[in-house]
Order: sequence, then C-alpha cells, then structure tokens
Amino acid sequence: MNKWQALLLAGVFGFPAVAFAVHDGQVTVTAVRGDQLASYQRKGIGLYRYDQEHDGVVISQAMLSSRFELTSDWSAHTVVNAHPDPELTIGFTQAYLQYQPLTASRYKWAVKAGGFYPKMSLENPQSGWMSPYNYTNSAINSWIGEEVRAFGLEANIKRPGRKFRSNHSFEGFAAVFKGNDPAGTLLSWRGFAMHDRQTTFNEQIDFAIPHSFEWTQLDKQAEYVEPFEEVDGRFGYYVGAHWDYQKKSQLRVYYYDNNGDPGALNTRTGQYAWDTRFLSAAWLYKFNKQTRIIVQILDGKTAMGTNRGVDNDFYSHFVLLSHKLDQHRLTIRYDYFKVSDHDDWQFDPNQSRGEALTASWRYQLSTKWQVGAEYSVLSSDAQNRPGMGFNEHNSQQQLQLSASWHF
Amino acid sequence: MTRITLLLLLLFSQSLLAQQIQIVDKQNQPVKNAVVWLKGSKQVSALDSHYTMSQKKRAFVPHVLAVPQGANVEFPNLDSIMHHVYSFSKTKQFELKLYHDKPEKPINFAQSGVVELGCNIHDWMLGYIVVVDGGIYGQTDEQGMVELRLPEGKFTLAVWHDRFNDISTPETIDMTNNTKLLSYQLKQALLPKLELSSDEFDDYE
Repeated sequence: MNKWQALLLAGVFGFPAVAFAVHDGQVTVTAVRGDQLASYQRKGIGLYRYDQEHDGVVISQAMLSSRFELTSDWSAHTVVNAHPDPELTIGFTQAYLQYQPLTASRYKWAVKAGGFYPKMSLENPQSGWMSPYNYTNSAINSWIGEEVRAFGLEANIKRPGRKFRSNHSFEGFAAVFKGNDPAGTLLSWRGFAMHDRQTTFNEQIDFAIPHSFEWTQLDKQAEYVEPFEEVDGRFGYYVGAHWDYQKKSQLRVYYYDNNGDPGALNTRTGQYAWDTRFLSAAWLYKFNKQTRIIVQILDGKTAMGTNRGVDNDFYSHFVLLSHKLDQHRLTIRYDYFKVSDHDDWQFDPNQSRGEALTASWRYQLSTKWQVGAEYSVLSSDAQNRPGMGFNEHNSQQQLQLSASWHF
Repeated sequence: MTRITLLLLLLFSQSLLAQQIQIVDKQNQPVKNAVVWLKGSKQVSALDSHYTMSQKKRAFVPHVLAVPQGANVEFPNLDSIMHHVYSFSKTKQFELKLYHDKPEKPINFAQSGVVELGCNIHDWMLGYIVVVDGGIYGQTDEQGMVELRLPEGKFTLAVWHDRFNDISTPETIDMTNNTKLLSYQLKQALLPKLELSSDEFDDYE
C-alpha cells in the first residue's frame, strides 16, 4: 500500500463523521486441499490460487464495501480487501465518486470517477465484486479481477423499462481511463488462471518466469506484473451495452481497448504497455426462480514490444448452471480458455489452453452465515512450460470448504 | 348499553350500506388491486391512522397504497441496503434517503391525486400512492371485489388502476344503489402487466 492508498483508507474509516455511510462486507475462512503444482502466486505454473503449501485454513476473503452519501446526488464508494496470500496486504479494489442526479426525466444517467470495474460480469453481482455462485471465479472473470480495472471516467445512461411501461430496459456505458497498460502480461506468459483473488490498486502479481526472459528482447520485463500501471500516457476506453428483459434475461456486451502503445516501457518498474483489446458478451437467463444459466465469452488480442514481438490472441468461454433449493445453492461451471501465439519470436512461445469443471455447494445458515464446499478440476497446456522444466500438459484439482460471515 | 350501541349502529347502517362492488375489465375479467372510492365522501377514517409504504426485497410494499387526503405515510426500509425514494408527481414531490433501522419522519399527502414512487438506486422499483378525495375507499381483491359503505340512492364512484394509460385520471361513474351486487366495467383497456424476476443479486446494480 502506498501513501495515497493509506490516506484513502484513513478517509474511509474517518469519513462516517461527516457523511452518512453504509458498510457491508464479508470474512471467509476456507479449509483448502491444494494441488501439488505450485501456484502462480508463488511463481509456480499452477493455475489455482492455492497449492499444497496452503493446505490448512486460510482467510480467503476479507472485504469491506462502503457507500458514503455526500449530497443527494453525490456518493463515494470504496471496497477494501485484505489478503494473506501471497503475503499479507490490504488495499482498495474499487474507489470512486459517483454523480447520480435525481431527475424528473424517465431516462437516468450517472457518472463515475475513480478506479472501478467495467460492469461486464454477470457472475460477480454481489457487493465487492463477489460471486454468489462458485468460490473460484471463471477463467474470464479471474482475469478481469486480476488484470482489468479502469482508472478514469465512466458515463452511463439508462432507459428503465418500468418507467416506460416496457418489459425491456437498456443501458449504455462509455468510459475513458488511464492505467491498465500492462493488462495482457499474465495471459501471455502464464495464460488464464482460476481464482477469486482480486488485485488491489498498485499491487504486483507474480507468475512463473519463462525461459524467454533470459533473452535480451525481454530482459527489461520485470518478473511480475503491475497491471494497473500507466506506462504510455495514453487514454484507453471501453463501451458497453446492457439489455434487460424483466430481469429474467440479461445481456451485457462490452468492447474494451486500453489503447496501449506496445513500444512504451517503464524501465523503472519493468512494465510494458500492452495493446490489449477485447470483446466480452455475458448472458444470464432465469428458467424459473430456482434455476439459471450464465454464459460469457471473451475474445481479444494483446501485443507488446516496438515491433509487436509478443502478439497473442486470447479466447475463453464458460457455461454456469445454478440451482437454488431452499437455503442451498448448487452451481456447476465449465470453463474453456486458450491463448494463441501470432508473433515470430520463436524463443517465447505463448500458446496455452485449458478447460475446467467447478462444482460448488453453498448453504445459507442465517442472514449472516454461509457455509459451502467446492471441488474443481483443471487441465491445461502451455508451450513455455518445458522451457521451465515442467510438462507442457498438467492436470490440477482443488478442494475448498468455506464458512463466510457477512455483515 | 350494548343494546343502545347496537340500535345506534343499526340506525347508522341504514344510511350507509355495506355494498359489494366488482370491477371488471373490457374482457369481463375481474381486476385486482383497483382503487375504488366514493367521490366527495366525508372523511370517516381518522387522519392519524398509520399508513406505511415499505421497501421490502427491492420492491414497494404494497405496490399500490390508497390513503385519504391529508394522510401521513411512513416509508420504512425493511431491506439491509439503502433506498433513495422519490416522487416527481404533481400531487406530491419529495425525496428520502432511507436506511434500514433509521426511519424518517412520515410524509404528509395534503393534495388528492396519484403519486408515482421510484428509487434512484434501484430504478425498476415502482409504487403508487393514491390520495383519494373521499373518506370511503378500498382496493379490489383477487376477484375484483371491494366492499364499501355506500349511501342509498345516487352517488359517484371513482376507479383507478396502475395499468391505466393515463394514471393521473381515474374513471368515474354515477351509480344508483339498488342491487345487491354492483358491477363496474372499465371503459379503457388495461395496459399489459409488467413482469419482474428481481432477486437479491440485483442489490448492487
């Protein structure tokens, strides 16, 4: 945590004195049976958050989400997360000001300024971008949670169906942002991963160091990524559209482009700007009150280096089925992901692919307490693994038993 | 004493008869949740009665609340999340930021008419307060039935429903109280019913 984050944090806890604030959050304690492959968090090639080193009990989530009412139209929003892995840290995953004027118009609009998620996920609708479905996020949203965040301005306009006596609601989003230049680093050298570890502002993420880092072309790249850093001084943007039918069917389509200059490099931090752009389409459909399906597709490109020495396409989709039975929620999800290499740097293979099956059970004991279990299996290939002395193909599994306290 | 009370009640009930009224739509189907009132009737319900328009599970409960002119209405928030309730209706304009366990002072509805309620955070929340210009009023049940204490002879009834095309204008009808069951067929076709499958995951929209 740097100085301004500490200041912001002090603000969050000191603020209630001057404005009315609503807080909520959760603490989740998890008993983990991890895989033998070391996690990417410990510079291993494992794609799960945990490994055998973590076997035992860990605090998997400790989150405080706050909303401060400044005036009738202005509010401030923060989400603070503490993580014990890979080392104990506390920081913000979201912090923004929101202007949402109360207008007589049937159209509603709002503006956000700060650090926030583009709202492309239907898997993470809860406070603090948490998921009520699986404990381990899909490959797509694991990546969004670790490498994607906008630091800038977002404007949105909504046509709420009921105000127009219609079953259809529409909402449009447009944002310009700085930061987020290194997004794509993990996809290229590690590939997609599966976890619920959101990156806090200014945090670094480790990964297994590929053999190619010994070549002069890549010797300026640090052995970690700082995904939210501003490297090239250029603005990125995203646009999004939501279509909602009776809250029964919800579609979200986003196009994101960090407008990175692949030739730009911060020699001090060892971070390149990656030219990363992607399309995300997510759809949620409720068959009835109990059963729903969520599908999401992510398709994009990323490149770095003056001559786009690293140039990759990435793709992932998942299908999630969730069924609620009284206080039980059962969820099963299939993930598919791949990164394909399109550059001629033979010494730096970035090709990877994988698929995973994740099944979770959650039981709501009371309004405050929830317990659950999750079993996940993952099979993956990455062409840079043999260079690090590992098999190209690996299968992993992870078992978690969790208890959450919500406040 | 009991006898005298009964006698008084009997005398009183002769001028105001409890009468069943059924409201039906153009297809002769019963219309539930219509507000029906006797125009210009004297206020019989005390104005200090308790009227509440709650917010529960991200919805206004009840969806339609009928109150007499001058009523004070409380807006308890039964959800753990915050609501920002407002009205831009001519009848009454207000806004309230409502938190769980932090009740606000009731709002007074001095003018008759329809108040459309919204929430600035959960924009699918929609509710109505119908401030009626009469003390005798009620809302129809599943069978479209409502029981009102009506005078003998001629009177004017007003009927309102949230699926009217123009929600600011109730339908009125002159009636004569001479049958056991009064029935009223709406003059206008109702707009289609809006469905909503909102759930707890919509809290942070």
